[in-house]
Amino acid sequence: MPSRQYATFEVADQLFGVDVAQVQEVLRFHEYTRVPLAPTSVGGLFNLRGQVIDAVDLRVQLGLPPRDLNVPAMNVIVSVDDEWVSLLVDRIGEVIELDDEAFEPPPDTLAGAYRNLIVGTFKLQDRLMLALDARRAADTTVPVPAAQHA
Amino acid sequence: MDELGDIIQEFLVESHENLDQLDRDLVALEQDPGSREMLSSIFRTIHTIKGTSGFLAFHRLETLTHAGESLLSRLRDGAQQMNPASADALLAMVDTVRKLLESIEETGGEGDVDVESVIAMVTACIEDPSAPKAEAPAPEAKPAKPARSRSAKSKAPVAPEPAAEAPKAPEAPVKAVEVAAQAPEVPAPAVAAAPAVAKPAAPVREPAAEESGQNTKRSIADSSIRVDVDLLDTLMRLVGELVLTRNQIVRGVNDISDPVLARTTQRLNLITSELQESVMKTRMQPIDHIWSKLPRVVRDLSGSLGKQVALAMEGKETELDRSLLEAVKDPLTHLVRNAVDHGIETVEERVAKGKPGQGTLTLRAYHEGGHVIVEIKDDGAGIDVERVAQTALDRGVVTRDQLARMESREIISLVFRPGFSTAKKVTNVSGRGVGMDVVKTNIEQIGGTVDVDSTLGKGTTWRLTIPLTLAIIQALTVECGAERYAIPQVGVDELVFVDGQSGQAIEHVSGAPVYRLRGKLLPLVRLDETLGLPVRNSDRDVYIAVLQADGRRFGLVVDRVLNTEEIVVKPLSGRMKDVGVYAGSTIVGDGKVALILDIASLARRSHLAAEAAERAQLDQVDNRPRGGSIERLLIAGIGERRVAIPLDMVTRLEEFPVERIERVGSREVVQYRDHILPVIRLASLLGCYDVHESETVPAVVYTERGRSVALVVEQIVDIVEDHIEARSDLDDDGLTGSAVIQQRVTELLDVRRAILAADPRFYTEMSEITNSMVGA
Repeated sequence: MPSRQYATFEVADQLFGVDVAQVQEVLRFHEYTRVPLAPTSVGGLFNLRGQVIDAVDLRVQLGLPPRDLNVPAMNVIVSVDDEWVSLLVDRIGEVIELDDEAFEPPPDTLAGAYRNLIVGTFKLQDRLMLALDARRAADTTVPVPAAQHA
Repeated sequence: MDELGDIIQEFLVESHENLDQLDRDLVALEQDPGSREMLSSIFRTIHTIKGTSGFLAFHRLETLTHAGESLLSRLRDGAQQMNPASADALLAMVDTVRKLLESIEETGGEGDVDVESVIAMVTACIEDPSAPKAEAPAPEAKPAKPARSRSAKSKAPVAPEPAAEAPKAPEAPVKAVEVAAQAPEVPAPAVAAAPAVAKPAAPVREPAAEESGQNTKRSIADSSIRVDVDLLDTLMRLVGELVLTRNQIVRGVNDISDPVLARTTQRLNLITSELQESVMKTRMQPIDHIWSKLPRVVRDLSGSLGKQVALAMEGKETELDRSLLEAVKDPLTHLVRNAVDHGIETVEERVAKGKPGQGTLTLRAYHEGGHVIVEIKDDGAGIDVERVAQTALDRGVVTRDQLARMESREIISLVFRPGFSTAKKVTNVSGRGVGMDVVKTNIEQIGGTVDVDSTLGKGTTWRLTIPLTLAIIQALTVECGAERYAIPQVGVDELVFVDGQSGQAIEHVSGAPVYRLRGKLLPLVRLDETLGLPVRNSDRDVYIAVLQADGRRFGLVVDRVLNTEEIVVKPLSGRMKDVGVYAGSTIVGDGKVALILDIASLARRSHLAAEAAERAQLDQVDNRPRGGSIERLLIAGIGERRVAIPLDMVTRLEEFPVERIERVGSREVVQYRDHILPVIRLASLLGCYDVHESETVPAVVYTERGRSVALVVEQIVDIVEDHIEARSDLDDDGLTGSAVIQQRVTELLDVRRAILAADPRFYTEMSEITNSMVGA
C-alpha cells in the first residue's frame, strides 16, 4: 500500500499538511524585517544562519487577515524551486503517515483562496487534513493584489 | 655565479617541489602503469628541470634528465610499456637528480655525483637496441644550448627509429630523436631517417607546441591550482557569515568588558578581516583579462574608419572580482569602440586642427577609496555641448526649460539618457542610440557609476567607478520607521542634518518637498512616504542623504543615519525583486535582516517631485541677481557668531577630545599624527567666551609644507558655495570683513592672523611663499 508522510500544522484551526520531503526545518522566530511595498502575504524577512529567508503569511494566502508578527510565529521552512521559503503557521502538528487511499480531491464546495492552494483532503480519525501545494502556497504574486499604496 | 644566485635558488626550490611531486607521481604510476596522464605529468616535471639546468649550465643534470625524458616520452606515447625495470631506473634517476641538486645547493656546483651509471640504466630500459645504445656514452660531451635548439628544430627529420617502430606510433620516434640529436658524433641516423619526415609531419606539431609552453606552464601549475568557482562562491558566502558573526561577538564582548575575552575578540577581529581579504583575493583577476582583446578591436575599427589610433594601457594589473570583470567587459568594449568611432577624428581632421595625425586612446585602471576606477580617455574632438543640447531637444529627452538651467556637465550627461545618440550618421559600430544608456544601466547594475568629462577639441574621458566586489559593499545604514535600510555608499554624495533649531527647514514647492542646499534647491524624497510607511509629522531633526543616480541629485529624507559599514549583499528572491525598490538584502550587526535600497529606482519614483523642484529652481534662478564672486567657504559657529573660512585654507576637519589638548607655555597643543600641533581657539582669538563645554571640539586643520595648525571652533555649520550677495568691510579684530551668506551675516576670518596666533613661525619657516600669502 503506497503511503506518504506529511508534516502537519494548523492555520486558523484548520489542519494542513505538506509532503515531509519538502520540509527543511521547523522553527519559532520573532524578528522579522518588514518589506514595505511587498504584497501583504510577505510577512517579512529573517536571518536563518546567514541565509535570508522570505516568510510567507499563510493566513493572508488563505484570504484571512494578516498575522501579528510582533509575537513569535512558527515557521515551516519548505524548499520550493531550490529556494527556501518559510510558511508562517499557527501551530505545528505531528508528522503523519497516510495511505494514498485516504486521499480525496478537494471538495467542490471549497472556497476560492483555499481551493487554489489545496491539492486534496485526507480523512483522519477525528478531523480532515488539507494537503497543501507548497509551491502555490509560497507564491505571493498570484492571489493577493500587490502594493496597497501608489 | 653570484648574480645568478637568486635564479639558482629559485631553481632549487622549484625543483625540490617538482621532485616531491615526481615521487608521488611515480608511485602512483606503479599502481596504474597505463596512465598516460600521470606519465605526461612526470614527463613535464623532468622536462622543466632539464630546461632550467641547461639554461644554468648544469650539464650533468641536463644529460641525466634528458635520458630520463627520453624514456618517459616513449612510455607516455605508448611506444613501450612501464615495467618494474623502467620504474626502478626512473626512481634512480630522481634520486640522482636530488643528489645533484643537493650538491648544487651546498657547493654551487654539480660535484662528482655519478650520473653515467644511472644514464646507462635508463637508456638500457629504452626498448630500442640501436639508437639508445649508440648514444649512451655520447651525451656528456654536448654543450647544452645548441642541443636544445637543435633538438627542437631537427626533431622531425632526425628520426633514428628503425622502420618497425615508426608506423606503430608516429609520435614516438620524434621524441626519441632528441636523444640522438644530442650527439653530434652520430649524424648518420639523421640522414638515414630523412624519408620518415613526411609521415610524422602532422604529429610533430603537437609535441613542439607542448614544449614551448611547458617550461613556464609547469612552474605556474606547481604554485597554483584550479578551483571551482562555485567553491569560491561558497567560501565567500561563509566568510561573509563569519564577518557578521564576528560583528555580533565584538558587540557582545564590549558589554562584558572582560580583558582576556576582549583580546581574543580583537584577534578574532583581525583574523576575520585578513581571511575576508584573502578569500576576496582568490576571486580577483587583473583587468588585463578583458583589456587584452581591446588592441585588436581598436586596430580593426580604426583601420575600417581610416583613423590612426594608438592604444595605451595603464594599470593592467589592477584586480577586480571575476564576476564584475565579466559585467564590465561589454560596457568597456562599447566605450572603447565609441571613442574610436566618435571621439577620435580622422587623420585629416586632426592634422587640420594641428594635432598629431595619430590619436591616442588611453585606458587607465586604478584603485581609489574601495573602488576600481577605469578611465577611457581619448584626445579626440570632445563632446559638443551645443550639439548634445540640440539633439536632446530634438529627441524630446529634455525640455527647453530644463535645458536652460543645466550646467554644461549636466548637459553632457544627457548622452546617458535612453534614446540618445549624437552621431551624425549611423555607423555599424555605434550610433544607434542604444549605447550609452545601456552602458550606464549595466554599470549601475553592479553598483558602479559612469561619468563623462569632456573638453571640446581636446578630448573626452569616460570614468567607470566599479566596486571591488559584488558580494561586499560599503553602505550607509539609515533608519526609517522601525526598520533599518542600507544605501550603497557609491551613490551617497553627502549627509545633511536638518536641525529644527537652526532655522533650516524643509520647504515645499507646489506640494513637493525641497531643501535649500548651498543656495540650490534639492528635490527631496521621503523614504517613509515612498515606502508607504506611516509618515512622521515633523520635518525637524531629520537627516537628508544627498544621493546621485540616473544623472539626478536628490535628497532622501530619513529618520536617522546610523553608520557606514561593509555589508554582505544577499540577492533577493523573485517575489522581492518584483517590488522594485530594493537592490538586495543584508544581515546587519545584530543579526537582523536589512533591505538595501535601489537608489536608481528611488530616483525614478522621485521624478514628479524633481520636476516640481526644477520649476521652482528656474524661478529662483531668474530672480537671483547675476554676477558676484563664487567662493567656497566653510562656515563655523563660534558662540552666536558665524565665521567663514575659505575652503582653500581647510586641509582637514578633525574632532579632538578636550582632554587631549595640552599646554606648552602659554600655548595650547595637541598630539596629532606623531606631531605636536599648535592649537588656537577662535573663540578666544575673536574675543568671545567659549561657553560651549563638551567632551570634544571640532577643529579646522590647515597644513602647508609639512607644518600644520588647528583652529578650534565651536561647531562646523556648513560648507557653502555661494554668491556673496552683500559684502562689507565692516570688520573687527581678526576679521577681513563680513558678508551675507545664507541670509545671515557671516564674518570672514583673517586666516593668516589666526594661523600666526597659533604658530608665529608658520610662515617665516617658509619665506618663499610668504609674499603670495600676504597678497591673499
